[in-house]
Amino acid sequence: MAKTYKTSETVDFIVVGSGASGGIMARELAQAGHSVIVMEQGPRMGAHEFEHDELKYRNLSGITNNPAVSPQTFRKDPSETAKRMSGRNPLTYARVVGGSSAHFNANFWRLHEIDFIEGSKWGPIEGASLVDWPITYAELEPYYTKVEWEVGVSGLAGASPFDPWRSKPYPMPPLPVKSSGVLFERGARKLGLHPFPSPMAINSVMYRGRPPCAQCGLCGGFACEVMAKSSSVWTMIPEAEATGRCEVRSDSYVFRIGMNKAGRATGVHYFDKNKVEHFQNAKAVVVCANGSETPKLLLNSATNAQPEGLANSSGKVGRYLMFNKGGGAMARFENPLNEYKGANVTRILHDFYDSDPKRGFYGGGGFDARSGGPLTWGQSVPKGTPSWGPGFKEYLESYTYWMNCSGHGTSLAQETNRVDIDPELKDAWGVPAMRVTYKDHPDDIKHAKWQVERAVEIMDAAGAKQIVPGEVGEASGGVHLLGTCRMGNDPATSVIDKYHRTHDVKNLFLCDGSSMVTSGRGQPTLTIEALAFRAAEHISRFAKANAI
Amino acid sequence: MEHASPSRRQFLTAVGNLASASWVALNWPSIAAAAPAEHAHAGHAMADGAAPPTSFTTLNPLEAADVDAIADLIVPGGAKPGARAAGVPYFIDNALGSFFKDQLTAFRQGLAEFQAGFARQAGVSTPFAKAAPDQQTAYLGQVEKTPFFQAVRRLTVLGLLALPKYGGNRDNIGWTLIGVEDNHYWEPPFGYYDKDYPGFQPYPGTKPYTA
Repeated sequence: MAKTYKTSETVDFIVVGSGASGGIMARELAQAGHSVIVMEQGPRMGAHEFEHDELKYRNLSGITNNPAVSPQTFRKDPSETAKRMSGRNPLTYARVVGGSSAHFNANFWRLHEIDFIEGSKWGPIEGASLVDWPITYAELEPYYTKVEWEVGVSGLAGASPFDPWRSKPYPMPPLPVKSSGVLFERGARKLGLHPFPSPMAINSVMYRGRPPCAQCGLCGGFACEVMAKSSSVWTMIPEAEATGRCEVRSDSYVFRIGMNKAGRATGVHYFDKNKVEHFQNAKAVVVCANGSETPKLLLNSATNAQPEGLANSSGKVGRYLMFNKGGGAMARFENPLNEYKGANVTRILHDFYDSDPKRGFYGGGGFDARSGGPLTWGQSVPKGTPSWGPGFKEYLESYTYWMNCSGHGTSLAQETNRVDIDPELKDAWGVPAMRVTYKDHPDDIKHAKWQVERAVEIMDAAGAKQIVPGEVGEASGGVHLLGTCRMGNDPATSVIDKYHRTHDVKNLFLCDGSSMVTSGRGQPTLTIEALAFRAAEHISRFAKANAI
Repeated sequence: MEHASPSRRQFLTAVGNLASASWVALNWPSIAAAAPAEHAHAGHAMADGAAPPTSFTTLNPLEAADVDAIADLIVPGGAKPGARAAGVPYFIDNALGSFFKDQLTAFRQGLAEFQAGFARQAGVSTPFAKAAPDQQTAYLGQVEKTPFFQAVRRLTVLGLLALPKYGGNRDNIGWTLIGVEDNHYWEPPFGYYDKDYPGFQPYPGTKPYTA
């Protein structure tokens, strides 16, 4: 029987968010002996409730923030008035116990050593704020390993010549290769590149009481009905609850952090399932709500003493929003690949990971072979293909012959790219809504176009019969929500310190994509989880030393 | 369909029980085989207790007839069944009356303009749905860039490929058309190119290692 607490009780920690970082934070703090309540906006769903329903999950906000009730506004430039977008939000995340770890594709790349020191290596870059992290790869490496072993990642250590060093191999062998992986590997090897089995947070064998992947083919956007995907809801959350000290309170939407006159957090204000307001007392608050909800919560928690938002003396809360810009190509082959079967990605390459001044711009990334669900794929056609009639029908019949070669890359941090609060718009709970301001840095666009050219080369070398280069447009949203409460040593230029404590509020900690200083090259979840293990260790240490 | 749902339920119930997870892993092929592949997805509809819609409840008969005709031109029938046989018009009607109801007003207005525009065509004396195929195709060519046509096209593709419980993709016609078999479990080889994969060959200077 999972523990439940009364709102009048003062727990040691409230963790806001049950996703990639929140689940780990809860388990680590609870296992260390602390009382913990995890507050989750969304419902708790059982594995059997997740369907193979592409319409629901891709078009009807089945488990994601629904623009109808959780609207956001968007603009490219601070001089514009932000507006709602037709039928969608700029920033998307899962709103369910497990958070976005419930619906991710489960690509689990470590950052490389270079990611932590690019400010020194390549900065400054005009228009960007490219700075070093306050921690290094070496400091995070033990926690990457901890994620791989305790959450569960499959892969082949040492396969890529470009991999950073590691202290242990993956606990599980790689997933079986798909046709897209074979073709990607064939093309890349012909070009002298080094494709290798993709590390995935998906069980390839029975591991920690969860079964191997059923190869149903529906990972990205879907939650795993067999619990083979290493989502918080199947991994960390049950282990947190098993301590008898952790309550996961679902359908609980935290909208303001309570503060006292001494400048300490006292708990959280939240709405329950019936939109009834409550206040939960706590000794400390750890916000793991994602790179959009975390800054929104801080900005909506302004007090007389902190009128610009909580923990925002630097003015950096919500700033430096980053996605992962990239470019790729779609390719058709002579025989069926059947990409609708099997885990989404089975081969990647990191030959172009580092930025290279010879290219004439900053940026680096990785490539993978992947597929799209049929319903999404069928919505558009390559240039020159009829969009209706017999020609379109013929195109539809070619679905199983296609694959994607996708590039995933850097987005530069820019101060003007941000999440803040819309001056007018409110959500269905009456809470002031997010306003998103975002414009790609010119180098991000150049790098994405460069990636399209490389993807075309790889698919050509693989023997594709038809290649459709991706179009590189200006970003108007994303799902990798990074950088908005960046960590740093200087309270004037960052929101949290290297232990994830806010510079301004001693008992308020933040840990999620918002903590990241640079974007990495896509696939940020492993890093977010490693940060969470590391942060939890320090936060627990502080608590035990009475230093919170 | 009736025997498919218990099979899927059996599959998920077994998986949902952590104590039996290893048993499930060992027995997946036989569990999956017990659920007839062509109905594995349709089983969801049974589980939800909702039968797919088979009548028009949002669009009036004239509207429904024209939408039906347009959908049938977007993905025509022939040797392989198209949008009409897949029940796409019922999906569109269902969508506009429920999860896409906020689009209904704009859709209706677009359809009215579509109908009025067609009536103004030279030699036209019938509603679009009853016009000659050449006339229909020629008119669609004129309006294919309009928001209304784009909306019908989007809904047609959604209806063709979404779960049958929403009204389209009847008897998995849409999935069959694009070559997708309906199953909740697969094992390699998945496609033509991974059949004879020789295994990952390490690069010179690397030493892949496993736990």
